[in-house]
Amino acid sequence: MHEVDSPGPRPGPALPPAASTPPPPPPPPTPTSSISPTPASPPPPPAPQISHPPPTPTPIGLIEDEQRAGAAVSGTTVAGALVRAATPERLIQMCVESFTEKELDKNHEEFVNVFFLMHPWFMTSEELAQAFIDLYQGCDETVTCTMVACQHLPINTGCAIQTYKKMICQAVRYWICKFPLHFDMDTLVTTAVKRLSSLLQAEGNYRLKELVDVSKVPSYDWMRNMSVRSTTHGKHSRKVSLVFNHLEPKDLATQLTYLEYKAFRRVHFSDYKNYALTASLKDQPKLERSIALFNGLSQWVQCMVLSKTTPQQRADVICKFIDVSKHLRVLQNFNTLMAIVGGLSHSALARLSKTIACLPAESQKTLMDLTDLLSSNNNFSNYRKVYHQCTGFKIPILGVHLKDLISLHTALPDRVEGNLLNFRKMAQLAIILKELTRLQGLDSIPIDANMDLVNTLRLSLDLYHTEDEIYELSLAREPRGSLSSPTTPTKPVVFADWLLGLSPPDSDTINKHVHDMVEAVFKNYDLDKDGFISHEEFDSIAGNFPFIDSFCVLDADKDGMISKREMKTYFIRANSHVLRNSFKHAFHETTYFKPTFCIHCTGLLWGLIKQGWKCKDCGINAHRHCKDQVVMECRSKGNKRTESMSNGKGPHDLTITAKRKISQRHLKRSSPSHTCQQSTQTEGAVLRRSSSLKVMNSSNSHRNHRDCTLLDGEYYEEQALLYERLLKAEEAREKLLEENSRLRSKLDIANDQISLLKSHIGIIRQNTIAFILEQMDALHMQRDTEV
Amino acid sequence: MKEYKVVVLGSGGVGKSALTVKFVSGTFMEKYDPTIEDFYRKEIEVDSAPSVLEILDTAGTEQFASMRDLYIKNGQGFVIVYSITSIQTFQDIKTMKDQIQRVKGIDRIPMILVGNKSDLDSQREVSSSEGACLAQHWGCPFLETSAKSTNNVNEVFIEIVREMNSTPLKDNKGCCTVL
Repeated sequence: MHEVDSPGPRPGPALPPAASTPPPPPPPPTPTSSISPTPASPPPPPAPQISHPPPTPTPIGLIEDEQRAGAAVSGTTVAGALVRAATPERLIQMCVESFTEKELDKNHEEFVNVFFLMHPWFMTSEELAQAFIDLYQGCDETVTCTMVACQHLPINTGCAIQTYKKMICQAVRYWICKFPLHFDMDTLVTTAVKRLSSLLQAEGNYRLKELVDVSKVPSYDWMRNMSVRSTTHGKHSRKVSLVFNHLEPKDLATQLTYLEYKAFRRVHFSDYKNYALTASLKDQPKLERSIALFNGLSQWVQCMVLSKTTPQQRADVICKFIDVSKHLRVLQNFNTLMAIVGGLSHSALARLSKTIACLPAESQKTLMDLTDLLSSNNNFSNYRKVYHQCTGFKIPILGVHLKDLISLHTALPDRVEGNLLNFRKMAQLAIILKELTRLQGLDSIPIDANMDLVNTLRLSLDLYHTEDEIYELSLAREPRGSLSSPTTPTKPVVFADWLLGLSPPDSDTINKHVHDMVEAVFKNYDLDKDGFISHEEFDSIAGNFPFIDSFCVLDADKDGMISKREMKTYFIRANSHVLRNSFKHAFHETTYFKPTFCIHCTGLLWGLIKQGWKCKDCGINAHRHCKDQVVMECRSKGNKRTESMSNGKGPHDLTITAKRKISQRHLKRSSPSHTCQQSTQTEGAVLRRSSSLKVMNSSNSHRNHRDCTLLDGEYYEEQALLYERLLKAEEAREKLLEENSRLRSKLDIANDQISLLKSHIGIIRQNTIAFILEQMDALHMQRDTEV
Repeated sequence: MKEYKVVVLGSGGVGKSALTVKFVSGTFMEKYDPTIEDFYRKEIEVDSAPSVLEILDTAGTEQFASMRDLYIKNGQGFVIVYSITSIQTFQDIKTMKDQIQRVKGIDRIPMILVGNKSDLDSQREVSSSEGACLAQHWGCPFLETSAKSTNNVNEVFIEIVREMNSTPLKDNKGCCTVL
């Protein structure tokens, strides 16, 4: 970085010859609010190099520093902080002055870069563009041309006004070229620059007009939507397993890095700014998504480990993740590394002493080294050192840099010295933000993405558990020994509130992720493309999703094969249960007086008394051995996270009756023994049902259009569920109708056969009688001859 | 000289950074650079014993759930901050002690409860007595501070040093078998 320590005249012939003129008349009036009204400073000492714009009023006390009025200049070690503080208007002027009519003065490169990078911190891009236009339009008055008989036209070379206009356009051009992102998303600024362009057109300044052309700004769609362009192509033919157990640690690390980078690069400047200002993730979906990925990964690590039953199996999973971490370190993906190491050293895993004992010493050592690398000791000094040594592609630990931003923002005021903008703060923030935005803008990454694997992983990471659930599981796997400290809290602690502001992924996202994952699975496993995969294949995929493992509900038609639709429905349901964190039912033993069926396995609850368990809250019933595996959520529990589920809005009054009906139907549908029973029902019953469904549907859609804003969250949730069930019930009905017609045609065939057989009987009978008569005749003849 | 590792915990926006920055830069700081190694180190004298505090400000990383355990593992004393102008931030920290105990696996943990933003008394949502009550339940000191007016800021850190001195510190390094 180049420093200008003394506020002397700018080195080099920064300005055209025409600038060597006496100071011009006063500058354009600056908006008054931003500058403290102080006596105008005396004109600066003869500074022939600097002719425009002339001084603006300066707060007292800065004058000795002040070569260019309106700004505090000081020697400082911060790059780009030649200016300590200034009004925004003055900063814009200085920015323009940093350009010659042809190019950027290299001595001011730092300043200009910081200025353009950081301007969104204190003004919108549109305001900046407008300020350039104002300068352009005002410079006829503010800049004095001393050329004799100058018309101030574009052809007048050497005209100070024209030169200044060129400098403005060079500044705008530089902005467009170096910070195209500012123009990609923001139509307001593009429109403003187009205004400047048409202004130039009107003046006949065609050459300048070309400079400010925004039409060539590349589109940054990829930043918002999909796919990072990867450098290596064509290796996709290699078959990669989508199953965790078969995955190579390196593949896993690579694909996780791909996911991470995709989330990281979408975080926008404004996200960083708002987070530093508000310390909240509200309305910052991109940053929130990135953090959700981080936490999801940590939890996935913990769940994958805890899903194994023996200490050795758990240790194996831990080993695998340690291997993944090693590769992440090689890939310089520190954020994912932090997430995994954080997950591995989480208290829920760290307490598993039997498991830790099964870990090979080498893996333990690696984990220790990595923990050391990421340690918060000495302000993350280990990490910072290593991070700065890394060149090329790398992903920083977002949390650490967010922390730095917040610290800086807290420590330094935005305005100093009589409401001047604290530009030194901008320069310091710029150091962090420049690095982050630079890494986000990398064109290529050394990663060969396997979208199928990415999609599968991504969904695994969407699962949302509370810390509490995971810790309880940890306690279940390895209960506290006698050695445990008696005062360690034994009752579960609720941590959900602590993560407030970080809501689980919304249902749309989940649905999309489920869709992509299922497509990926079928692409890879459904080799004969018949739209089905076998149970074994499914089970191995499902291994990536710990604790959603009640798969008998999946194969709804019990044909032993799993269709895409079944799989999607299943995962969306399972996710929404996990999402809303309401798996837990308050089961208690119950005696039923009517035949009752288990919600989980759909079997009858046998016995005379205490046949099964009923949930106090939602009233579902289950076998004793099934109750722990129920994937049906507990609906009546008040849950605040319902806004994401509010897509289905049905009528309230139908809720209870319909729920009962549908759940009966649902039960019957998913039970093979009941299917035959249903299929033999009379058509009349089926029609009755279908008509009642139609009524429900029509009133449902009718009420959809009504304003439902007054209804509370729980109600929405119920409606969403009801709607889902309605859809399912309709599917079931269609299936039943199909079966009915099938059976009917069978019956017809059978009847035909019967009549055929009847006619056969006639013939046979005739034949038989004829035969007997013949025999009898023969016998008679025999007897007659003997006699 | 004794070294102490202090972790400042609490929800986002309660002023953890402000508190920390106010403390470490109590004397005028010409340059702020939160990225340098000893930015968060400060020497203070507590009961005529000079000590060095290394403070870990967790601001900005509250949402990164798995970083919290790492922080807690590294820390020896804990400053738990809520804002007196937000009852939510007070609710958020209620489980904090249990979580620290869970990670540390020890009973007695040097900590202090801090209600920040005491200068905004007109917007108060958490009364002093509520704070004091929780602190009593936890068995730790309680202070209301204002990072803005520097009220009680140094006291917080002096008090946490006293707490750490009065607690026989088990060194948790290398001891990851929390049962």
